Amino acid sequence: MADTHPTNVPAVQINGMNKFYGHFHALKNIHLTVHRGEKVVVCGPSGSGKSTMIRCINRLEEHNSGQITVLGTELNDDVASIDGIRREVGMVFQHFNLFPHMTVLENCVLAPMLVRKTPRAQAEAAAMRYLEKVRIPEQALKYPGQLSGGQQQRVAIARSLCMEPEILLFDEPTSALDPEMISEVLDVMVHLASEGRTMICVTHEMGFARRVADRVIFMDAGEIVEEADPETFFQSPSSDRTKQFLSQVLGH
Amino acid sequence: MIRILRHQKVRNILLQALFVAVVLVVVVGGWRNAQQALSSQNVVSGFGFLQKSTGWDVNFSLLPASPNDPYWWFFVIGIVNTLFLGTLGLVLATLIGGLVGIARTSSNELLQLLGRLYVDFFRNIPLILQVFFWYALVTNLPSPRNAIDFGPLVLSNRGVYMPALNVGGWHVFAAAVAALAALALPLWLRTTRRLATPPEQRGALVWRVLAGGLLLAAAILLLGRTPGSPLIDAPLLQGLNLRGGLRVSPEFSALLVAIGIYGGAYIGEIVRGGFKAVGKGQTEAAHSLGLSPWQTFSRIRLPLALRAMLPILANQYIWLIKATTLGIAVGFTDFFMIVAVTINQSGQTLEAIGILMAGFLAINLSIAAIFNRINRAIALKGNQLRS
Repeated sequence: MADTHPTNVPAVQINGMNKFYGHFHALKNIHLTVHRGEKVVVCGPSGSGKSTMIRCINRLEEHNSGQITVLGTELNDDVASIDGIRREVGMVFQHFNLFPHMTVLENCVLAPMLVRKTPRAQAEAAAMRYLEKVRIPEQALKYPGQLSGGQQQRVAIARSLCMEPEILLFDEPTSALDPEMISEVLDVMVHLASEGRTMICVTHEMGFARRVADRVIFMDAGEIVEEADPETFFQSPSSDRTKQFLSQVLGH
Repeated sequence: MIRILRHQKVRNILLQALFVAVVLVVVVGGWRNAQQALSSQNVVSGFGFLQKSTGWDVNFSLLPASPNDPYWWFFVIGIVNTLFLGTLGLVLATLIGGLVGIARTSSNELLQLLGRLYVDFFRNIPLILQVFFWYALVTNLPSPRNAIDFGPLVLSNRGVYMPALNVGGWHVFAAAVAALAALALPLWLRTTRRLATPPEQRGALVWRVLAGGLLLAAAILLLGRTPGSPLIDAPLLQGLNLRGGLRVSPEFSALLVAIGIYGGAYIGEIVRGGFKAVGKGQTEAAHSLGLSPWQTFSRIRLPLALRAMLPILANQYIWLIKATTLGIAVGFTDFFMIVAVTINQSGQTLEAIGILMAGFLAINLSIAAIFNRINRAIALKGNQLRS
């Protein structure tokens, strides 16, 4: 998978991107480059456009102007390039979004078999490997509704990994979980981060950001306000809005 | 004593006893009243009349019928006619409803509008009016001499003619059963977990069952072929009438079209609701995994929508089966019309109505039982669902 794209192009490059919902200007002139293997954490108050921005990267949302280039391919109305990018970009959602009518294993092998045409035996072997990686191989034949939230989210991560994506997007993966289940998901994400895959995470987990992020991005009101390595970001943020946000998130 | 009456369990028992007593009084009173009224009119009650021959004929029957046949045989004919009209009506309504529902949930605005107009129009006109409309239309078609050729169909005021197979009735029935089994068994094999192999490893078996069943059906048809005649019998004008082929009476076609179109409007709304019930998150997850729109539809949205539709669909099917009783409005001899004529001719009102109720109960309870089974088999497992 790493060989299909030249390694010198960045994983994601966003240039002057704008997004509107009707008259509401949701994303304002976004510039962002994410390099191969980089771990980027995006944080900011709710409604600041973090989720919308990463949902533009696999075109679950359409941007209105500017350019988004993923692994060297520009995102436009070309269906083939959208499909190509979605194959290489995995996404983990806040509400897991597992397919409730399929077992955990079927959830995992569906896309590899349909999209990559992997034979079933091979797809199942790979799925079991990834289920072991997220530490729930014993749940493979259960249905999503029979698992706890934390287990469902780990299945969702394994399902994304089964497509062997170059880039993984996380859209607030722990926000819908009970507190005691957050750490089991974060542990898996920390482990993944050590493997060299490009990761872009929208999250409020500042401990996670401090531990794994190469870069932290702070967004407010549809703009990128601050962009820095975690050390600088947490110790000496430059903008007042960042300081205020951090004091609210870390204050207690 | 008063304290006992304030006890919750004692109260519950007393209330239920009171309820049973009231029901008993009503039933026994009604029964005695009916018996007195009947004996004063010299009507012999009981089911002896079932063995008597009717002395009248039916205008549509899949089974052999003559005025010499006894009443019980006519009731069988009526149930078969009702089931025949009902089944074809349900299939037609489901096909139309599926298309309308998909049109209404599509992203194409023209299709959405067409679907909405269809539902608004056909859902808001009483069914009996629609039956009369289609009946007037088919009975005002040109005479057989000037009949309209509509592809393989020939439309005339004597009915709609279509090419038929020169095959005996029982063979057609057996072939239909074989073909149905060939379609139903693979569905069961695909989902059941009772067999040793997991469902997804039965691909080859499923295809073999499907092909084998269809071949068997074809073989039965060939075996039952009338010797010395062509396999396909097309309608031809001979003299003043059309000969050959299969004639569908104006009564039957009017009812079938009305039930199909009216039911289609309702089922279209059920299908739309089913698709609306599928979480947006599941569709987005499928997109993000790179599934094509068709794969997302067939693997994710349709299976989930079907689960949401089934209980309401069962309701609608039961409703439509009962709508076949409108046959009496245009003179189609369905179960209800045969019972109505029986009451008129024999005077055995209570018995005939009892048989009518038992017949419809049996049909509709069977539909409900089948749907409950399917529902249970495909129900989503677990209770931690979020959408």
